[in-house]
Order: sequence, then C-alpha cells, then structure tokens
Amino acid sequence: MFGYILKKIRYSALKRKNMSHDTATDKNYNEPLLPDLEKNLDVIKSILRDSSDVTVHEFNFGHDRRYKGALVFIDNMVDKEEIHKNILKPLMYDVLLLKKDVDMDFTKIDIIRKNLISVMDSQKVTLLADLLDSLLTGTTILLVDGSKEALAVNLRKWEARSIEEPGTEAVVRGPREGFNENANVSIALIRRKIKDPDLCIEKLKIGMRTKTDVYIVYLKSVANPKLIEEIRNRIGRIKIDAILESGYIEQFIEDAPYSIFPTVSNSEKPDKVVAKILEGRAAIVVDGTPFVLIVPMLFIESFQSGEDYYARPFLASIMRIIRFLSFIISTLGPAFYVALTVFHQELIPTQLLISIAAGRERVPFPAILEAGLMLFTFDVLREAGVRLPKPVGQTIGIVGALVLGQASVEAGLISPIMVIVVSSTAIASFAVPAQTDSGTILRYIYLGLAGIAGGFGVIMGLLATLLHLSSLRSFGVPYLWPVVPFNLSGIKDVFIRMPVWTMQKRPSVIIWDNIDSIRQSPGLMPSPYKEDKDDSK
Amino acid sequence: MGKVRISSIQLFLLLSGFLFGSTVILAPAKGAKNDAWLAILIGGACGVLLMGVYAAIALLNPSKTLVDILEEKLGKVAGTIVAILYVWYFIHLASLVFRDFGEFICSVTFPEMPMVVVIGLFAAVLLYAVNSGIEVVGRLSELLVPLIPVIMLIISLSLFTVHDFTAFLPILENGITPVLKTALSFITFPFGETVAFLMLFPHLNQKEKLKNVVLISAIVSTLMQVLIFFRDISVLGSGLMDRATFIPHLTSLIIPEFNIEPLVDINLLIGGGIKISVCLYAASRALCQIAGINDYRNLTGAISTFCVVLSIWVHESVLDLFSWTEKVWSYYSLPFQVFVPLLLLLLSLKKSKPSNAGTANEK
Repeated sequence: MFGYILKKIRYSALKRKNMSHDTATDKNYNEPLLPDLEKNLDVIKSILRDSSDVTVHEFNFGHDRRYKGALVFIDNMVDKEEIHKNILKPLMYDVLLLKKDVDMDFTKIDIIRKNLISVMDSQKVTLLADLLDSLLTGTTILLVDGSKEALAVNLRKWEARSIEEPGTEAVVRGPREGFNENANVSIALIRRKIKDPDLCIEKLKIGMRTKTDVYIVYLKSVANPKLIEEIRNRIGRIKIDAILESGYIEQFIEDAPYSIFPTVSNSEKPDKVVAKILEGRAAIVVDGTPFVLIVPMLFIESFQSGEDYYARPFLASIMRIIRFLSFIISTLGPAFYVALTVFHQELIPTQLLISIAAGRERVPFPAILEAGLMLFTFDVLREAGVRLPKPVGQTIGIVGALVLGQASVEAGLISPIMVIVVSSTAIASFAVPAQTDSGTILRYIYLGLAGIAGGFGVIMGLLATLLHLSSLRSFGVPYLWPVVPFNLSGIKDVFIRMPVWTMQKRPSVIIWDNIDSIRQSPGLMPSPYKEDKDDSK
Repeated sequence: MGKVRISSIQLFLLLSGFLFGSTVILAPAKGAKNDAWLAILIGGACGVLLMGVYAAIALLNPSKTLVDILEEKLGKVAGTIVAILYVWYFIHLASLVFRDFGEFICSVTFPEMPMVVVIGLFAAVLLYAVNSGIEVVGRLSELLVPLIPVIMLIISLSLFTVHDFTAFLPILENGITPVLKTALSFITFPFGETVAFLMLFPHLNQKEKLKNVVLISAIVSTLMQVLIFFRDISVLGSGLMDRATFIPHLTSLIIPEFNIEPLVDINLLIGGGIKISVCLYAASRALCQIAGINDYRNLTGAISTFCVVLSIWVHESVLDLFSWTEKVWSYYSLPFQVFVPLLLLLLSLKKSKPSNAGTANEK
C-alpha cells in the first residue's frame, strides 16, 4: 500500500520535472520576421552565435541599387556557383535588363521570386523558427530590407557517397546497387522500382536537435491501414534529441524490447526492400544511414535471401534448407558436443567415441570450459577482425587459425575435435546474417545448459526458446507465421522455395483484410511450344 | 481476459498432446496384458463419450469456465467447495505427471541427476509457458504436437524387421474381468483428465467446432494407443511387456544398431509439457476465479512450486507411484471426472430447457 503511494508520488514528481525540462530545452522562436533587414540579421547572428560556417552576404540591387538584400546560408552545404548564377546574378545584373521605369516593388518577396529568381524549389518563410529550420537543413535564405518575409531557396549540395554495392548483403545474381546515407537517394531508388501512383511516402521529422527526416514508405492499396497507423503512432511517440541511425528508431518501435530476437528487419538493398513493400510491409527510411527498416518482420525472413527468388527454385530450396541447418548448427553445435561427450556417450558410435576419447586424453579442462574458451576466442577474433583495418584483419585471421587452432591442440589445451566443432559453428553462424545476434547469445546459453544438464538441459532451453518465439509478435503479426499459425499458401516459401508462378498470393497475415491479395494471375506455369495449337490458328 | 483466443486446430492439438501425455512412456492398459487392445478400445469408446459430456457441458454453458458453471449450478457455497477440490485435483494431476516425467528421466537418461533438478528445470520452462498465456501454449502445441506421431512412425518403421504379429494372441485368456477393470482405468487416465479443459473451452474462437474437435481428438488418440500397443506387444512379447517399467522406451531400445532413445524423451516432453501446462493453467485460473484475483499469473509461480514439491514428496519410489496409479487413481478420479460432470450436465440440461423454450417463444 505504502509502496504504491510512494510510487505514485515519485511518478508525479518525475512527470513535473520532465515537463519543466521540456519547456527549458524547447526554445521556440515563434516570432515573425521584422521588416528591418539589419535587425533580422542581428537576431539570426545572435541565435547562431556567430558560427564560423554561417555566411551572411549583404548586397544592394535594383537599378539604382536602392534595395538592400542579404543571403544567409551555411557554407559547404550549398552550391555557391548555383547561388551566384540563380540568385545573385539575376538580382544584381539581370534586373538591369528590365526597363528602368518598370513598376516593380522589389521589397515584395513574391515579386522577386516570380520575376528574378530562376530556381524552381523555393519557399516563402515568415516565422523565425521556419527560417532557422530551413537554414540549418542547408537552404539559402534571401532576406530583403522592408519585407516581412524571406525566401528559402533550396540549392543544397554536399559531399555524399555514391551508390555502391552494400558490404553486408553481397549477391551473386541480382542488382548490386545499395542505399546510401542520403534518404532522398534511397527513396528515389525505391520509386524507380515501383512506378505506381499508390506508392506513398510520408515524411516525419524526429529528433529535437538532429531533426532527422524519417520517411514511411508503403503501397497504399496493399499495406494494411492499421499497420501504417500503428507505425505512425509508434514513431510519433519518440521524443528524443537525436536520431543518428535507423537503429534508434528500431529500438523505440520494436514489439519486444527484451527479446534477443529482432522484430524489425533492415536491409541495404533496394530490391529487397521493394519486394517487401510489395508484400504489404512498410519501409522506414531514415536520413543519414543506408539501413532501411522494414516492418513487420517474420522469423522466416531471416532465412530468405533476395537471391532465392532470382535463382531457379531447386538450388534456392536447397540453400534455404542449408541455411536452416546452419542456424541449428551455429546455435546447438557446441552444446550438442558437450552434452554428448559428457552425458550421453552411449549415443556416439563406438569408433567415434574412441577417437574423441583419444583426442581428449591430454586435455586438462572439462568439455564445457574447453568449448566456452574456444567460442570466446572465436568471438574475440571476429570482433577484432571487424574493427581492425583490412590488412591487419587478415593477420588476425591467420593468427587465430594457425596459432590458436593448431598450437592449442598441439599444446594439449584443446582437443582436435573441439576445434572442428567450434570452427564449423563459426562458419555456420555467418550463413544467417539476420540472426547473428540471437544466434551468438543462444549458443552460450545452450552451452551452459548442456554443461549443467546435458541433452535434457538443451531440450529445456530449446523448449523455452520455441515458447518465446511463439509468443512474439511483430506489429500484430505472429513471429513464426506461416508455420505457427499454419498457413498453406505461406508455407510455400518457408522450407523450400516454390517456383515463382505458384506463389499467387501475398502473405495473408501481413495484409490483414485480404484486400488485393492476388499478385499474379493463375495458370502462369510455362509450358513448351505446342505444335497443334499453332496449326489451329 | 475474454480476449484470449485459441483456434480449433490449436485446441485439437492441445487435446491430443494432453491425451498422449504420460501415456508416451507408461502403457496405460498394462493390466489387461495381451488383451490390452480390447481394453483400450472399450475404454476409448467410453472416453469419447465422457469427453462428449464435457463438450456438452461447455456448449450448454457457453463462455463459462468450470468454476462459473459449478457456482451457478450448485450454489455459491457448495460450488466453491467443489471448485476448490477441483483445484486440488488439477494440482495433484500436474504433480503426478511431473513425477512420471522425473522418474523416467532419472531412471533412464540421467541416473545420477537429482530428480528435483530435472523436475525443477522442467517446471521453470512450463511456468514461463503458462505465464506467456494459454494462446502461446496453443501455438507451441501447433509446432510440437505433430512431432509425436512422426516420432512414433520413425520408431515403428525402424522396428519393422523384429515384429511378431501373432504376439497378442490368445484373446481373452484371463476372461473379461481384467479387461473391463483396465478399461475403467483407461477411461480415467487419460480421457477423464481432460476435465481440466473445461477451464479452456471458453477460449475457443469457433464454438460450433468444439464437439467435432473433442470427438476427433479422442478417437485419434484411442487409435494411436491401439497401434502403439500392437507395436509394443509384437516387438516385446507379452512376457517382457509385463515386466517392463517404461514399455515404449524399452521398445525403442530394441531398434538394432541405432539409439533413438532421446526421441522418446522428446515425445514425453511434448505430451507431458502440454498436460502439465494445461493443468497448471486450469488450477491457477480456477483458484483466481474462486478468490477473485484479476490475473492468474499471480498464482502460477506458487502453484507450480507447490507441484514440484508435491511431486517429489507424494510417492516414495517409482513402484509406489505405479501401483498407486493403477490401484487408487481411477477410483480417486471418478468423482472429479465422472460424477460431478454428469451432475452438471443433468443440471444444465434441466435448467437450459425452459430457457431454450423461452427464447424460442420470444422468437
């Protein structure tokens, strides 16, 4: 009882503190601009505290140079040549081509915009806050003495990476292009693949200080409106000072923050994202990162690769099964080895048992310690290899493989079979990139359980994992769909990949209302050229 | 609470898993020796009827749990007392299954492990399951229960070469009495135990399918039991079968050159897990309703801990457990499984008839 009251009091105190905190940081400059150029410039300069990259260029224009104007922009974020060509030159020189007695009042921004400025993308701003917003995102501000308005001209230009092949999702067959840090480029890449008026792109600004552009991209007639509404709500809820990567958004909108399994997927490849948008999912593009989020996520997506659909179904199906097996090996390999050698020797064929025993003869540690040590070493090697510069990274690989592998066996620290188990586990763990995090954690958990209670412990761990997986939902979609709950048309794309012409429907669980679920007409199975059909014509 | 929904296929699999339960390791109709198949068939037929009674009770009292029905039909005081007895029954049932499980693991797979560790670990996982909600247990059953027949099939096919198909002869060597006795115990274990599902039936999303789901699952599991019996007896012979403790496990050991014993463990784990989690859920839900607590999750921890302790404490050894199960359990269960449900059915029929007529008149 007292605890409850105390909690209430603490909560309300916290709330009050938060509210005052909000008003303190949120300086909103909701004042209108003044008609006096000097004063406006002073205000802007004082707000920006004379930052060195803010350039203010004052000039006079008009026939007798009686109008005063100023350009404010941030160096290195604008195209100075274009500013010169399209703003300064028209205002200062091309204006002289007009007759001297023409009746134009150049203190009116509208008149300047319509008659002189030769840039398409420009906007009038009247509030100081809007002016600052657009100035800080890289637009050029034109202020004119005597006008209560300013013109924000979009002539942004900054150094950016070109479109490259992403490092994380390399393919043998399929498009090589990847998203880059510029959200506009990413959206253009999506738009270039879906030429459909239904493709909706909603823009939001998240982050009180970074003001990061976040776009929700979806197909209006395919995506479930409830899903979009839910995404809007969850993203709109975020009150944070900075969004530096889509991972920030992911952690604020995911369904199960305490789960080791991701419920939001991400990709760097436009073809993958487009395929998912076409299935009724929504993509969340965040400015400043090439990783686009896709919701909802199904567990099975971790095992699907874009290439599965570009290759013919036979090898694709085999690869799919191999991916499942490697996920099982990567999580259960060391645990099974420990459980078998410590608890269930009777399950090992005798010949193998003898060679395992011979290998372990000189090893001083219990099997679980041995396995834990090797797994730890592998994870250290992997982490070090990622962070180090490439040439050194190779050295680390050699050191790891030769020195640690070979030498530790020869020194009698590790049994040779353990090296095989751990290295096959390590290789298998890279086959399913989307579940690398959860796989790594599960590996240690299962290993511990195997050391404590053998196969029984591992099975208990598996049972708990399955329980957890079947309790997960991603934006209302059961995580294990289409296996649980079972769906016949969905299962076509789980353990094997059926030919593309058999997959007529979109995943029914994502488009809840089953509107527009057919994605191709039936009976598209190709058949050989028929003689008699041709004769009848 | 009303929001929890399980689909008819999930209920079917839950029921089937529940019926397999510990029968995966204990041949349920062992007492009838060679004629066990007859006992299974007779018991199965009665079991189908009994489960039909439960379904009828659920259908006559839609969206009401066992506790609601008891309190409505027997009055507040008597209903509450009977409901508390039911809570005890579910707890006892769960702890018996725990003990079966623990005995099996400890005597077969992990002879050196203390039983409380085995049962405790299992209980921890099942506690997590029950706390995640009966929906999740349903979804998990969708994933795991189909494995049971697959594993059965694997074991049966690997034993194809060692079958002796005449082993169950002669028929009715010892007369009909032991067959009928065994049939009675087969009704109570496993069919009558599904009385726990009266706490679950309100969650079914398609009420009209309830009857079919219940009947099909009862028939399917009866047939499976008969098949398993024929497999076991044709592999082991009646003499060995009489002496063995864990018959299906012994059968799987006979498979030449290959050890698939862990598969039996997995079957037991699935069946027993579903049985225990349904019992735990039923017990905690019922106790919650009696005591007027909002969320059954407040009680699951306490109840499952109690089950673990009870399971260790209630019997001295596996032989004690088995003889008790054989001799006492069926009579001990009869009131819970047969008498009270029949009474409830009669009362529901009596009370629903006038009201049905009334609604018909209104229409």
